[in-house]
Amino acid sequence: MRKIAIYGKGGIGKSTTTQNTVAGLVEMGRKVMVVGCDPKADSTRLLLGGLAQKSVLDTLREEGEDVELEDIRSEGFCKSLCVESGGPEPGVGCAGRGIITSINMLEQLGAYEESVGLDYVFYDVLGDVVCGGFAMPIREGKAEEIYIVCSGEMMAMYAANNICKGIVKFAKTGAVRLGGLICNSRKVDRERELIEELASRLGTQMIHFVPRDNDVQRAEINRKTVIEWNPEVPQANEYRTLAKAIEGNTKKVIPTPLEIEELESLLMEYGLFS
Amino acid sequence: MPNIAILEERQAQVLRKEDPGQVACGKRSVAGSVSQRACVFCGSRVVLYPIADALHVVHGPIGCAAYTWDIRGAQSSGPQLHRNSFSTDLQEKDVIFGGEKKLTAALRELIAATRPKAAFVYSTCIAGIIGDDVPAVCKSLTVELGLPVIPVESPGFSGTKKDGYRAACDAIYQLVGTGDTSEIGPHSINLLGEFNIAGETWLMKDYFRRIGIEVVSCITGDGRVDEIRRCHGAKLNLVQCSGSMMHLAQRLERDYGIPFRRVSFFGIEDTAAAIYDAASIFGNPEIERRARDLVGQELARIQPELRRYRKILKGKKASIYVGGAFKAFSLVRALRTLGMRTVLVGSQTGNPQDYAQLKELCDPGTVIVDDSNPLELAKFCLELDVDLFIGGVKERPIAYKLGIGFCDHNHERKEALAGFEGMLNFAKEVHASVMSPIWKFTPRRASRLGP
Repeated sequence: MRKIAIYGKGGIGKSTTTQNTVAGLVEMGRKVMVVGCDPKADSTRLLLGGLAQKSVLDTLREEGEDVELEDIRSEGFCKSLCVESGGPEPGVGCAGRGIITSINMLEQLGAYEESVGLDYVFYDVLGDVVCGGFAMPIREGKAEEIYIVCSGEMMAMYAANNICKGIVKFAKTGAVRLGGLICNSRKVDRERELIEELASRLGTQMIHFVPRDNDVQRAEINRKTVIEWNPEVPQANEYRTLAKAIEGNTKKVIPTPLEIEELESLLMEYGLFS
Repeated sequence: MPNIAILEERQAQVLRKEDPGQVACGKRSVAGSVSQRACVFCGSRVVLYPIADALHVVHGPIGCAAYTWDIRGAQSSGPQLHRNSFSTDLQEKDVIFGGEKKLTAALRELIAATRPKAAFVYSTCIAGIIGDDVPAVCKSLTVELGLPVIPVESPGFSGTKKDGYRAACDAIYQLVGTGDTSEIGPHSINLLGEFNIAGETWLMKDYFRRIGIEVVSCITGDGRVDEIRRCHGAKLNLVQCSGSMMHLAQRLERDYGIPFRRVSFFGIEDTAAAIYDAASIFGNPEIERRARDLVGQELARIQPELRRYRKILKGKKASIYVGGAFKAFSLVRALRTLGMRTVLVGSQTGNPQDYAQLKELCDPGTVIVDDSNPLELAKFCLELDVDLFIGGVKERPIAYKLGIGFCDHNHERKEALAGFEGMLNFAKEVHASVMSPIWKFTPRRASRLGP
């Protein structure tokens, strides 16, 4: 079982990219579970066709410790398995602790057992890794492979670099490695070159450049991944390519985060500040 | 054990009387030193505990309430509500989703069931970390239920035990000034930092009644919410446990112009001084005469017996380690009354003035320690070969393991040690422990006696 976590700046398209990529993998016949690690619980909507499902923490709150796996895990597109961690309302409690609790609970309930026959588990994590709880998926024994969704915009690159610092910390004590950057294009000038260069400075690769295409939005309005909505459109092939690239990826590294000056000079070089 | 070195970071907090300079203090405890101090929450809990007609609710995991349950030997002449340690018993789910709703529900239920005069709601580490808005919950319930629901802002990690005292004083202060003071006479005082351990407050109140001084409020011994509400009407504050109550005394002086005196009711000298001090402030010759009579009578009553103990205990050596340094002064003097010598003295929360005074007071050779730990205390007890250790619940096992007599002088004790009566109890207890034949058989002394 490959254990993968998707990180990246808030609003960069982590959930969209994750679900569309997972659609590519399940279409290839892989068994995949997606675990949404965002209190908003909106990481599996496209795979489930908009079905509002009960989050792990809501179930825990309402039904107590006596939870069955079926209560919290739903089947989505092509038998993909979908779980939402969920969490408190904004402004109360401790969402980070919620992530820890729900991942522990999934383990206890046997969601990762061999009998389930999972090829992949994907953790889709809240953009801002604000505390230890949101780093839970990359702690020892959880996700071992990280992909960072970014774009050529400065703040997205800044966030990617920061996430790399977190990976370095956990890589020292565990098996977690960086698998690559996924560029979710914002149509910034020379974006591909910029992200390829950033990736190489981080010691990793740009695993795929996902072009901007309004078909993604069209599919989302229909509460579907692109592959399910219209398997024939070019964007569906982009996600298939990304899925295959992840499937075949063997380059997993401990990243080398950049100093902030280096990051800025990179942006200068590629003409953003000119 | 005697060869154990003092941690480098702590060396400035350990001093002998002859050494130049003063003991460093008021610092955060050194990590790994296993300080004898408790946490912020515990500090506030022990100060507010004796308020007997208030509801005390600990907003945190169950351990915070369990380990501070019935923590003081503080007596009440009426309600016993304070002896309960109510808790919101915060669990995993509450941590994730926030504990405010549970707290609100707990307070509604408890207030309906126990009909308290006020409620104190203690914040613990967990409440602090997850950011529960305890003051907001308290504010809305105060309006809804029509009684003061008072937050005590004491997350354990947010400072030292002393910060807990301060949080407790701030909580008390929310009641101050809300009661009617028209009936309070001109010769009136509050007792601050007197906790009615084993009924000591009643001894004090009896002395003051006999000399014609009215005690408006004792904060917090045998405490009542309505008494605290009118304490601002008293003319003088006597502060016994200065470590915990100076903050309140200073606020009362600033806002209501009530002067305060630091006093102690431990030992005959200090008890007499406290009574004379209070009596003199009113400039009333009758009160002063009665004070002299009272001290004379009490001394005459206990002196013969004290002299008997003194003969037996003369030359014995003692260690003192207590919470507030002011009590240590009294204990050094009380031990002198018994013919004993203090060779080690320290406190958890003393300030620079306290330690300067302590250094002045002590005999040559005495070791003075601030914020000490079990290893240091054990080291000095053995090096200095003491016969008695005076401390609290955390020092007792240190003494007993080393084969040393022990006198509990902390808030858990069940024996009244304050006032003249208390001095006699103190002498009895010290005598019983120091002279116990059991110590002959402990390794420390047995090895000296030979086979």
